[in-house]
Amino acid sequence: MVPVVVVHGGSGKALTREEFCKLGVQEAALAGYHVLQQGGSALDAAEAAVIHLENNPIYNAGFGSALNELKDVEMDALIVDGRTLDCGAVAAVRRIANPIALSRLVMEKTNHVCLAGEGASRFAKAMGIKEVSEESLRTEYSIKKWEEARHFNEDSGEESKSGTVGAVVLDSKGDLASATSTGGMVKKMVGRVGDTPVIGCGGFADNLVGAVSATGHGEAIMKVTLSRLVIFHMEQGMSPSQAADTALEYMKTRVKGKGGIIVISKSGEWTAKFTNRRMAWATVKDGILHYGSQHGEHNTRPLANTSGHS
Amino acid sequence: MKPVIMVHGGAYAIPDAFADECMAAVKTAALEGFKVLVSGRSAVDAVESSVRSLEDNPILNAGHGAALNTNGEVELDALIMDGKTLAAGAVSSIKNISNPVTFARSVIEKTEHVMLTGTGADQFADCQGFPRVDTNELISEKERRNWEHRKRYGEGVQEQFNSQWVHDTVGAVALDSEGNVACATSTGGMCNKMVGRVGDSPIIGSGGYADNNIGAVSCTGHGESIMKVTLARLILFHMEQGKSAEEAAEEGLHYMGSRVGGGGGAIVVGRAGDWTARFTTERMAWASVKETTLSYGLNPNQVEVKLLQVV
Repeated sequence: MVPVVVVHGGSGKALTREEFCKLGVQEAALAGYHVLQQGGSALDAAEAAVIHLENNPIYNAGFGSALNELKDVEMDALIVDGRTLDCGAVAAVRRIANPIALSRLVMEKTNHVCLAGEGASRFAKAMGIKEVSEESLRTEYSIKKWEEARHFNEDSGEESKSGTVGAVVLDSKGDLASATSTGGMVKKMVGRVGDTPVIGCGGFADNLVGAVSATGHGEAIMKVTLSRLVIFHMEQGMSPSQAADTALEYMKTRVKGKGGIIVISKSGEWTAKFTNRRMAWATVKDGILHYGSQHGEHNTRPLANTSGHS
Repeated sequence: MKPVIMVHGGAYAIPDAFADECMAAVKTAALEGFKVLVSGRSAVDAVESSVRSLEDNPILNAGHGAALNTNGEVELDALIMDGKTLAAGAVSSIKNISNPVTFARSVIEKTEHVMLTGTGADQFADCQGFPRVDTNELISEKERRNWEHRKRYGEGVQEQFNSQWVHDTVGAVALDSEGNVACATSTGGMCNKMVGRVGDSPIIGSGGYADNNIGAVSCTGHGESIMKVTLARLILFHMEQGKSAEEAAEEGLHYMGSRVGGGGGAIVVGRAGDWTARFTTERMAWASVKETTLSYGLNPNQVEVKLLQVV
């Protein structure tokens, strides 16, 4: 099987700092691909790509997360293993750098699928994950965004959510994985859980069909269980691209929500689709890096060194 | 449209000692919800009313009588969904609230969000002036003993699965006279669960889903398995493909068993008023009311029928 890594950095009306966003997703896709080249699994690669984006303060995940109504950071993340449908999620977790790594621990070290709030923090501590300060997760940009958004509304939501990050991966064994992480929406209520950590909404992966990671207006994504809907359309014979278009169109007409998705099928077909104005995405397949952020934009460049790169 | 209400009181190996009380609870709750429907109110009102009735009954694991987490505390999850607009409200890991389903409904009505968790949800409850109860009021003697037993033997959730000690979720689905469907699900989760554990119940598409174009589903059983296959949405996908409520529920539950090894149950009402209660666990207490007939059951393939007096 030819391995594939697809990454997104969130969708929105305007991607402020668009060039940086485009760069970051390329680096993350390459980081995920590098893990595959070193013999890592789809799960390892998806996690690595998302950690890369969480650590990049330009995106709304990990460092640089959007601030809630009290100006604090509460993060959500989900990881899904397409082999077994095993998944791990954390919701409204605070003061850690990499929620995606914690979700993987929920999947691997507990009998549960999702841990929320203080329970998630307790678990992080028990796993020896270092606590980081609230201040370290804030950036000048996230503070500015918080000050600009007078109150939470759908519109600010859509824009401010430009930054949820996600990755889907197919490895050479044919295993699929999906990983998604976010700080949520600016000025969201304390304790608000968006689509990201909700299985079938923020992401899904099934070796028998494909893998999906979603971004956009979280409440709309949840109402239509967007990721599961895309997988369902693929089960019915649609290509990833048709399935993504159909599901996003349905979300727009049924609940008036916009968003974006990245998809890989079990045979390695992939797509990045969005109904917002922009979504930064990048893909690595067959030694070629693809990337873009506007509708119709599709850049490619060959990787300098496809094997043994370190 | 002839209104329909269905409720369940959880799918597990319900011990004989509790069987009668469980059956009485689901019958009462179904009749409560049906009263709401015949008075001309909506499917959402009906499922809320049925689930409140189940939450108030200490024999069932939701609201009063909820299972205790590893710290011996009650943390509750609930979901309610309106099939007309797909609007949904969910709360997870909330404390000191006796009717989580009503609280979940206020998330739909008073916020722009779908789901609130933990302390944030508690703060919202305070802002809304939501009635708070003392934790001890929610703890039943039965659940306290259950928890102590569990603590003593250090049994994990895996072992509990399908054992007679797993008490599960409660739920309701309804179709109203205007053709709207709704679902509601509420639970205390698994006994001795980790603090902050969120199961399938508040998860849209897993613990429940409702869409006027298809029907409504509420699920119960091994939460982690239900989530992995997004069971409620899966059953509705099958119905969208032309399967009957019964075939769809059978297929969804069978798939869950074979793919991820989990047992559970589901109640389903289709947009045309067809309904079913299916489960792969030993028992599930359920009841439904349509026209003048109260149907109910506990064991596989058991359907008892009682004619109601015409009002």
